This record gives sequence, structure tokens and C-alpha cells, in this order.
Amino acid sequence: MSAPFYKYGLFNDEVSLIVAVFIGIGFGFFLERAGFGNGRKLAAQFYFSDMTVLKVMFTAIVTAMVGVYYLSVLGVLDLSLVYINPTYLAPQIAGGLILGIGFVVGGYCPGTACVSASTGRYDGWAYVGGLFGGILVFGEVFKLVEKFYVSTAMGKVTLPQLLHLPYGLMVFLVCVMALGAFAAAEWGEKKMAAKREGE
Amino acid sequence: MKIAEALQKMSLNARLAALLLLFGFIAIFAGDPYGGDKTEIDARELALIVDKQVDHVAAAELADWIIQNRSDYRLIDLRTEKEYGEYHIPTSENITLAGLTDAGLQRNEKIVLYSEGGIHSAQAWFLLKARGYKAVYMLFGGLEEWKDKVLYPAVPENPTPEQRVAFAKIKEVSTYFGGTPQNGAAAVTAQPQTGATAVTAQPQTALPKLSLPAGGTGPKPQGKKKKEGC
Repeated sequence: MSAPFYKYGLFNDEVSLIVAVFIGIGFGFFLERAGFGNGRKLAAQFYFSDMTVLKVMFTAIVTAMVGVYYLSVLGVLDLSLVYINPTYLAPQIAGGLILGIGFVVGGYCPGTACVSASTGRYDGWAYVGGLFGGILVFGEVFKLVEKFYVSTAMGKVTLPQLLHLPYGLMVFLVCVMALGAFAAAEWGEKKMAAKREGE
Repeated sequence: MKIAEALQKMSLNARLAALLLLFGFIAIFAGDPYGGDKTEIDARELALIVDKQVDHVAAAELADWIIQNRSDYRLIDLRTEKEYGEYHIPTSENITLAGLTDAGLQRNEKIVLYSEGGIHSAQAWFLLKARGYKAVYMLFGGLEEWKDKVLYPAVPENPTPEQRVAFAKIKEVSTYFGGTPQNGAAAVTAQPQTGATAVTAQPQTALPKLSLPAGGTGPKPQGKKKKEGC
């Protein structure tokens, strides 16, 4: 058992920031290479004409899931030390909808907005400006929404705990789900392309 | 051979998809990444730790840590809620033996356990060690030792000058925790008889009120908490 490195004291807070910079650059680089610096491409997701976002993101998720799962089964990674965001169902649904609306309208999510801004796009910069404005506004009105913000707390739940399924089975189901989603995405893209040609 | 041929014909995407499906399928039988309730232990390693007594924290040492307001460890009271309510060492949290593995203790934390005597904390120590917790310690002698050494310390019979100096320091610590040093001043002025009674017969005064030391019993300050989440 030797990972997570930070939790086992392999490096301290300061070094962890340096590590974060490199991981962040890597993350941004691959987002850009996937074409996520382009708001049009991202927004196309919501019109089912270009499902790259779903494919890239879901691929990242299942790759990480399979990797983390096998590393912990093999005893390399202590999964109980990996932070899980606690679930607050209602506020997170509301937050997801707000993010989704912003995504369709503006063409970026917070992360891709930074990618876009760093490639020099003005819409990206406008988006990043809006992001900080939004954080400021949220901070100011936090007292008003605090009650809702902490409502429907479910703690740090994972799908296997929630559905009372074995972890391994859940891993398999998510893999199947991902492959199904990829197939559906390809099929949808072809359909939409055919429709566009018909027009 | 047929499989190899089939693989040759597949696109890279299809091959990766097949690989994912394979990994997912094996996962069904590979078990629980959190380890479930069964564990494996390294008996030799545990025996060595016990043998070398490196798993102990002395009452005086713990008292120092609390006074210094150190926050790099968690102090766990393993007794019942009722006993905990009556008295507990400041900054301790009440977690019973049964609830220990679900209590959200982390494997990389320094954990100091104590119970009334030493048995429960020793059992809890073993339980946590077996589950892969790295830094688990026991308060040597448990709460009884804490009472003897910190709350109601007594000067030994016919104290040497060194022992008197040490006792003067312990007295301060004891007062900090709201304890009552046993016959401190009288014994230091050295009447052998009084000293003797102090060690043996002096009845213990009531346990200190939980409000002492000020603020010490509230939730422990987390100190430099590691930031998490995104």
C-alpha cells in the first residue's frame, strides 16, 4: 500500500502544489487536443451532432475507474484515503442544471473555458471573467442560499453503497454503460449527419 | 489463432472496447477495493511492535501534547457514551470498539486510543493495525494511569531533589487539567509519614469538571487541515 502519495506523506503541501500544476497542465493539454477549446464543438454536444465530449469524458471516467479499482484490489492504492465529494442531492441537481444551461448558452464548462482562454479565444476570456463574477456573487448571497446548499445531505455515498451491489459488479455495469453510450453516440452522430445532408 | 485473426480485423477503438469489457468482467470476481470486513495481518510485524513497546504513549507525554495544542493526532475514547459523559481526557472523541472501523478514521492518521484500563485499547489497537492503519498508539495504562499520573499525581516516598523538581512540573500539568496533586506542598517540605499516606491512602477527589481546561473538551481544532475536493 503506497498510494495516494500525498496522504502517505511522500510529499508535502508545497510539493503537492507543484504536482497539481503539472497535472493541471496535462489535463488542459488533453482537453485542448480533444478540441474542447472550441465552444462550437462543445455546444454541438447538446444538439447531438458531435458527441466528442461524451466520448472523451466517459472514456476518461472508465479508464480512471478501472485503473483505480485494480490498483486498490492489488493493494497499491488505499481507496479509503481517496476523497469523495459528499452528496447533497437537491442542490447538486440544481447546480447541475445551472451548469448545463450555462454550458449550452456559453459553449464552455468552467474547465474548458480556461482551456479556451489560454488558447487566446475572446469568448473564453469572457467566460472566465463571468466565472469569477459568478463566484463573487455566490459568495455574497451565500447566506441566503446556505440552507438549500446543505439540504438533502446523503454523506459520502458511492453507487455500490446506494444500490447495495458488489463493487466489482458496479465496475462491470459502468463499463457496459460506457460502451453502450459510445455506440449510441456514434449512431446518433450518423443520424444527425444524414439529417443535415437531407436538408 | 482465430482470436488473433479476429483481433487483427478489429479497429483500435473496437479492441479498446473489448479490453474494457474484459476488465469490467474480471472485476465482477475480483472483489471489493475497500477490502470489506476481512483482513490479513503480518503477525511477525505486529509481534515485533508489541515486543518493542513502540505502540505506547505515556500519560505525561499525552498531557504535553494536549497542552501544546498539537493537532497531528486523534485521541479516541473507547469507553461507553455514559462514561465518556462523566469524564474524558480533553480533546478526545468517543468511539466505541464496535464503531471503530466505521468511524471515519483514516489509515494515515496518528491515532491514540485509550480505555479504562488497557484491555479495550489493546484490542482496538490490534483491530486497527490488522486493518492497515499505520500509526496507532495506546495510552499506556489507560485512563487509570491518566488519573494516577496526571490528575492526582503523588510524590514518591522520601523524594529525591530530582523527584521533587519533577513533581513540581507535574503539579502544574495536573492543575491545568483540573486535577488535584496529592499532598504536593506538604510532601515537598518532607515529612516522611505524610509522604507515605499520600501515596497509599489519600482518597481520590472528584473527577474534574469537563469544562476544564477552558475549551479543551470541545471539538478538536483540526489545525492544518488538508484541502480536498474540487
